[in-house]
This record gives sequence, structure tokens and C-alpha cells, in this order.
Amino acid sequence: MGAPRQWAARLLGFVVRHAPARSRDWASAMLRELDFIEGDWAALYWALGSMAALIRHAASGWRSWFRGRIPNKEEPMNNFGKKALGVGSGIGLAFLLVLCAFGVQSLLEFIFPSLRQDHAMMTHAITMILIPEVTFVVAAIILWRKRTAVAAGILLFAIAAGAHVAFFLATHSHS
Amino acid sequence: MKVRLSPQTLLVLDAFLAQPEDWQYGYDLSRNTGLKSGTLYPILMRLAEHKLLDTAWEPADPGKPPRHMYRFTPEGLRFAREHPLARPSGSLGRVALSQILTHQGSI
Repeated sequence: MGAPRQWAARLLGFVVRHAPARSRDWASAMLRELDFIEGDWAALYWALGSMAALIRHAASGWRSWFRGRIPNKEEPMNNFGKKALGVGSGIGLAFLLVLCAFGVQSLLEFIFPSLRQDHAMMTHAITMILIPEVTFVVAAIILWRKRTAVAAGILLFAIAAGAHVAFFLATHSHS
Repeated sequence: MKVRLSPQTLLVLDAFLAQPEDWQYGYDLSRNTGLKSGTLYPILMRLAEHKLLDTAWEPADPGKPPRHMYRFTPEGLRFAREHPLARPSGSLGRVALSQILTHQGSI
């Protein structure tokens, strides 16, 4: 048994052990099929695709649970819940982007130490402020018509981040 | 009945229509339809949740784990045959899928 097939079996074995009850039979079924797949890499791709399918299946269960928690008869409350979830998702996505930008900046400074010594302020301004803020605005414009709540969440985060930068610059220029 | 009939779902229905009485395995369905596991299994799950597919574990030899199998329920068979895009002969292949996709793109 080659390494990719071993990884595939481990991956699906892990999923079978940790899958929610409603998905466990399906996870076992996908794991069992591995024995019949020709080719180690094909087995690994099978396992990765299966894992994605199980995540979607579990997510649909969580969505149903979440919908069940929101009272159906109170439509305004239902809408409010959806909007709050959308805004929260927008803020979460924006936060993730900033985390990624921070990772990129750290990586750049690790690869090119001179950036940290000579151009720290400029690197920080480009990777942590300019690129994320431009991305936020573009994403908000694209999403505004179809995902207004998500776009609002992104914009909210962009404004908060912009205010943070303005406050930082104001306090540091006085000192 | 509210089942989303994507071109991929039609391919799966068609693969079952080719041998409507027989139990089929996931990997065989994947090979017959050309669908990856990440596409095939959500369709199987959805069809099973709508009671269009029966699922069962194949009785295996001692020491060997059983294998999961799928087959149309009577309702599933009726649904597949009644749907205008599903081919009763079981002949919907990749060519037909590409035609459906092209047709959808041109609408």
C-alpha cells in the first residue's frame, strides 16, 4: 500500500470516528470503497472529495438546526437572524483576510530581513492596510447586490480597521 | 417533490436507470458517471433523504467489512422515468451532459 493510499485511509478513518451520527454511515461507505479504487493517488483524491462531501452534509445539518432555532412564524425575527448571520460572516471573512495579510507580511520579513530593518513602515502599510482595505471595498461593491448583509459586515470591519489606523497615525504623529 | 435536478444529478439518475433493479456501488457509479466522490455522494445523500434511493450494506464474507449499495426505490424509479430530461434507456453520457451544460449556458 503506497503512502497516498495510507493517507487516504487514515483521513477517512478519522472522519468515520468523528463524523456526526447522521453522516457516519456515509463516511463508512466512502472508506469501504477505497479498497476497490485502482491507483494510490486516485484513492487519495477519492478520500479528499469524500471528506468535502461529508463536511457539506454536516453543514446542511447545522443549517437545518440553526433554522429550527429561529422561530418560523416571526418573519421579522427570521430576517433579522439571517442578516445578523450575514454581517457576522462578513466581519469574519474580513478578519480572516487581515490574518492572512499578517501571515504574508511575517513571511516576507522572514524571507527578506532587510524589509523589517529598512522598510518596516512601508511593508506594514502595504500588506496590512492598503491591500486589505482595497480588497474590502472591492468585495463589498461586488457582494452588495446579492449579499448585502455580508458586504455590510465587510464594510463595517473596513471602517473599524481604518479608524484604528487613523487613531494610530494621529497618536504617533503627536509623540 | 423538491429535488434539485442538476446535470450531475441527471447523470446519476441515468446510471441507475441503466440497471434499475440492481444494487450499485459508489465507486462503480463514480466510474460510470465520471463524477468525483465530492460530487457524487452529496447527490446520493440527497436522493436517499428524499426516499428516492434505497441504501443497504452488502452482506460480506467473514472478516471483510461490508460494502454500501444503492438502488432506486419504486418512487425513485417513477420519478426518474417521469422526469423529461432523464433518459429511460440509460444512455445519458458525457456527451449528453455537455449538451445540457451548453444549453444552460446559452439560456
